[in-house]
Amino acid sequence: MQAFSFSSGPLEPGRYREALGDPSAGGYASFEGWVRDHNEGRTVQRLEYEAFEALAIKEGERIVAEAVARFGVTRAACVHRVGSLAIGDLAVWVGVSSAHRGEAFAACRYIIDEVKHRVPIWKKEHYTDGDSGWVNCERCAAAAHDHDHGHGHDHDPGHAHAAGLAEHPEARAARQDYSRQVALPEVGAAGQAKLAAASVLVVGAGGLGVPVLQYLTAAGVGRIGIVDGDVIEASNLHRQPLYGIADLGRPKAVVAAERLHALNREVRLEVHEARATAGNIDGLVKNYDLVVECTDNFRAKFLVNDAVVRALKPAVFASVHQYEGQVQVYRPLPHWPCLRCLWPEAPRDGLVGNCAEAGVLGPVPATLGAMQAMQVLKRLLGLDAGEAPALVTVDLLTLETRRLVARRNPDCDHDNPAATVAPSAAEPLELEFATLAEALESGLELVDIRETWERMHDPPGLQITTHLPLSALVNGYLEFPTEGRYLLVCAHGVRSLSVTEQLRAQGLTEVYSLRGGLAAFRS
Amino acid sequence: MSASHRHGGQGMNRIEIQYFAVLRERAGVSRETVETAAATAAELYDELAGRHDFGLPRAMLRVAVNDEFTDWSRSLAAGDRVVFIPPVAGG
Repeated sequence: MQAFSFSSGPLEPGRYREALGDPSAGGYASFEGWVRDHNEGRTVQRLEYEAFEALAIKEGERIVAEAVARFGVTRAACVHRVGSLAIGDLAVWVGVSSAHRGEAFAACRYIIDEVKHRVPIWKKEHYTDGDSGWVNCERCAAAAHDHDHGHGHDHDPGHAHAAGLAEHPEARAARQDYSRQVALPEVGAAGQAKLAAASVLVVGAGGLGVPVLQYLTAAGVGRIGIVDGDVIEASNLHRQPLYGIADLGRPKAVVAAERLHALNREVRLEVHEARATAGNIDGLVKNYDLVVECTDNFRAKFLVNDAVVRALKPAVFASVHQYEGQVQVYRPLPHWPCLRCLWPEAPRDGLVGNCAEAGVLGPVPATLGAMQAMQVLKRLLGLDAGEAPALVTVDLLTLETRRLVARRNPDCDHDNPAATVAPSAAEPLELEFATLAEALESGLELVDIRETWERMHDPPGLQITTHLPLSALVNGYLEFPTEGRYLLVCAHGVRSLSVTEQLRAQGLTEVYSLRGGLAAFRS
Repeated sequence: MSASHRHGGQGMNRIEIQYFAVLRERAGVSRETVETAAATAAELYDELAGRHDFGLPRAMLRVAVNDEFTDWSRSLAAGDRVVFIPPVAGG
């Protein structure tokens, strides 16, 4: 039987159950959802279910596959009714067979919760008073979804699931009101339609990404992709107030989509719960009209640069350092400089500080992110005619901005992949370990490359005795040993990956970076 | 501002300098005015790097003179406004 299907006639649990039988299965757990006679204080007589079947089946199959993979059960399936149902009718059936009961119950619970949350199904309730109303099942309640099961979502990194994709027209109680921006003579209804037709990819949902996402969603940009592979940490909140204390440990891209969906349900939000990598960036960029680069590392900035140059897409870059920031717009025009034109030697992470190392006040990325959002709207609305390429610097202490005219560098290859250190196809650069103990047992020597103050502030324990601070390596005070097998460790795995790439390029073969850094052991 | 200054290195030029990011931290000021014999942007950076212990190689930075990015070989004239910019990654 299919893992997920719809039925327009009455459900037949007995028949479905048989299809789950297997000699290795020691039990079977099932959930049935029935039509009840009341909802939110009103008496319901009957109801109708409607679904976007093609999309719903794909998402439903994905959920069942996730449950099988997560809980290691034997078989699982789900069937949902569509059409007109009476009180007491079976609306949805979930069944799981498994060697042991614990996994069967857990997988069953997972499937029904995720189906109600993620699969685009609407029900129209008919009340005794003759009234009726569409209810967007659980999707409307996405923001209230408690996610007690959601921390370890096994999302396929490149895959987007679309929150808010399938809002039923009648389910929209109130429409977004863009009147204050439509009132601008340069925007108008035509401009608003341009925004609605546009798609924007936001790489990084942190200090810069939060205001970018909020303002683009609020402005009614039609489709927004959110790329972020990190989870929310307590140290993020001072500059990423889209998130709250209750979100700690949850995936940033997922929480951002929930909050943004609550802000504007007309925007289609696509979650890409992954870091930008050489492997996924081209595939991501090609599906959007414009890219906003909001990460905190050079590696990602240059990945995005190269991808937009290749794909001929405009992009808006920004970076912050303590009290100041830089904004740069890229446009795929013959005379326009790219990031590599400006910085021919792609800088190395760790050399000039990021927020973790250098410190930052929240309003600094907020200001720069808002500036990025404004540049995006400007581009989408076509308000940038005749603008010359420049790097704009902003100092939030002195409130000075400076527009530095930049030119295309005739020697620049623009997207020269050789300029980035290509990851070796043979050996992975990063290794993943569940615990520090596991990493220690790997036979690799662990090397802490964090700065001395970070190590004092957050000691890794006695187990990582080798300490080669990145600043000392970069400045040449210390040299990395040329022999041995090493696992480089930093706070989040960004700097260690950069150093690993560099060392591989220098010919060291058995050096790896701890994926996610020390933070990975804590989550 | 005289022609000899523009091509020279002969005399001392008064140059306005602005620092960003790590350079500002190292210098301890965001801007300063210096009297210098440096004839080019490169010479000026080397002079200041020695004074402030910048520790960043010039190849990693960009220089803008009078609000335009320029080559390090650009000669300096009295009254030029010079900005040294390191790449920034925070976000």
